[in-house]
Amino acid sequence: MAAITIDGLTKRFGRVVAVDDLSFEVDQGTVVGFLGPNGAGKTTTLRTLLGLVTPTAGSARIDGTPYRELADPIRHVGAVLEAAGFHPGRSARNHLRVVATAAGLPLARVDAVLDQVGLTQTAHRRVGGFSLGMRQRLGLATALLGDPRILILDEPANGLDPEGVHWLRGFLRQLADQGRTVLVSSHVLAEVAQTVDQVVIIAAGRLVTQSTLADLTARTDQLVRVRTPQAETLKALLAAQGVQASPDGADQLVATAATTEVVGKAAAAAGIVIYEMRAERSNLEDVFLQLTSSQGVPS
Amino acid sequence: MIRLIRAEFTKLATTRLLYSMGATMAAFAVLTVVAGIAYAGREGNPALSADSLPMLVGLPVTLLSGAALLLGILGMTGEFRHQTVTQTFLVTPNRGRVVTAKLVAYPLAAIALALSILAFTAALATGWLAAKGITLSLLDARLGHVLLGAVLAAGLCGLVGVGVGALVRNQVAALVGVAVWVLLVEGLLMSLLNAPSLGKWLPSAAAAALTNPGGAQLSRLAGTLLLASYGLALALAGTRLVVRRDIT
Repeated sequence: MAAITIDGLTKRFGRVVAVDDLSFEVDQGTVVGFLGPNGAGKTTTLRTLLGLVTPTAGSARIDGTPYRELADPIRHVGAVLEAAGFHPGRSARNHLRVVATAAGLPLARVDAVLDQVGLTQTAHRRVGGFSLGMRQRLGLATALLGDPRILILDEPANGLDPEGVHWLRGFLRQLADQGRTVLVSSHVLAEVAQTVDQVVIIAAGRLVTQSTLADLTARTDQLVRVRTPQAETLKALLAAQGVQASPDGADQLVATAATTEVVGKAAAAAGIVIYEMRAERSNLEDVFLQLTSSQGVPS
Repeated sequence: MIRLIRAEFTKLATTRLLYSMGATMAAFAVLTVVAGIAYAGREGNPALSADSLPMLVGLPVTLLSGAALLLGILGMTGEFRHQTVTQTFLVTPNRGRVVTAKLVAYPLAAIALALSILAFTAALATGWLAAKGITLSLLDARLGHVLLGAVLAAGLCGLVGVGVGALVRNQVAALVGVAVWVLLVEGLLMSLLNAPSLGKWLPSAAAAALTNPGGAQLSRLAGTLLLASYGLALALAGTRLVVRRDIT
């Protein structure tokens, strides 16, 4: 059975359709990146999955059960959400004590998770004085309190400095290596590309694609970058052969889905001077942008 | 449910709210004792005697009921204000259980606060009058009467506070709403109705009946039942209509 099942999920806020008939599954033990531009419906989907938002139609289930019907939810699922606040006057340790008490978890878990995220030294300080990075760590500590097999993280890298992002990446990999299922959302593919096995990409509340990272990489295009004083002429020549090319700067041309042989022969036949030519691949970010923008945002 | 109630007590014990409220109430208690002693024997007030303790201890009771109401409102709406409600509902997705735990924990906390302040007031008054050569009698039936009224008022006002907070989850709106209700609306209703037989059913009158029953007021038992009904009705309506909404 899938660890996470989103089935025909639709959520409307008044006239705004935040999530539109979305379906996907996350298998046990996989790390899945949940991607989409800002406003694509990622947060709404995750909050519905966690029972905080009631869906308009469809369902979201954890191990086949709606979150609200799980017996001991935080022993199943740990979540880090963006707007999940901490009382500014409460210390990190006391925040965790409150959660542990309500969930009936032993207080030894509090010290264990503080140690796990590296907050032991600052555990007695009020959260009001915490940096964004420390808050994210405390959020992760809270999520791990029940030692859950499934983790749901909403934009965990948002607002972190490069060191924080690096730490987070290592931490997520460690959680994945322990065999946990992780669903991590982001609006930047590069943030999670090194960590995830699969991606689920959504735009405007709809599923764009669900694929392995390898399949997504295979979608990147072969590009040829040419530096020539006759960029316009070469562009027209290539177009005649059915090769799309676009100018990039004053004297540069980037041909899509082409090889250096095709471009070189075309240039030589027309006597076009070439200063420089090299093969490139478009990066994942381009594929991501292409996928999410082609879906378009309904006007 | 026990662990949810314990979690509510942990929440209360780990922020400054209850402590600063206790300190403020203690300061007010000092003022009321000073005023109570200063005005004793003047302007129709009975002179100080060995039987003055119930009068002095009873002085901060109304204020403590207000503090209990405030505590309940702040406890419930604070979850929404600081967005801690997200984590609370992740641990306990059944939101009715969360409200129920607060309906138990906050009245108990309010009673504990009230009893501490009343004990402090009694100690202060006893010490002061002892210095004036008046030995107060602690074995006074009226003292039990004052304490019972204070405990009921604090507990039930705490209950009503949680109910108000469940119905109006915006903290500022809840506080302003209650202030307007108590200071303005009830007064207007009283004068419009112009009939104590109807006015006694209002929440403030029900609370007053707990500390000062009889006369035009309801009996203490009727006041208790009425105020508890108000609190539970607010909490039920709040849970059904407001607390169940999407947490975004």
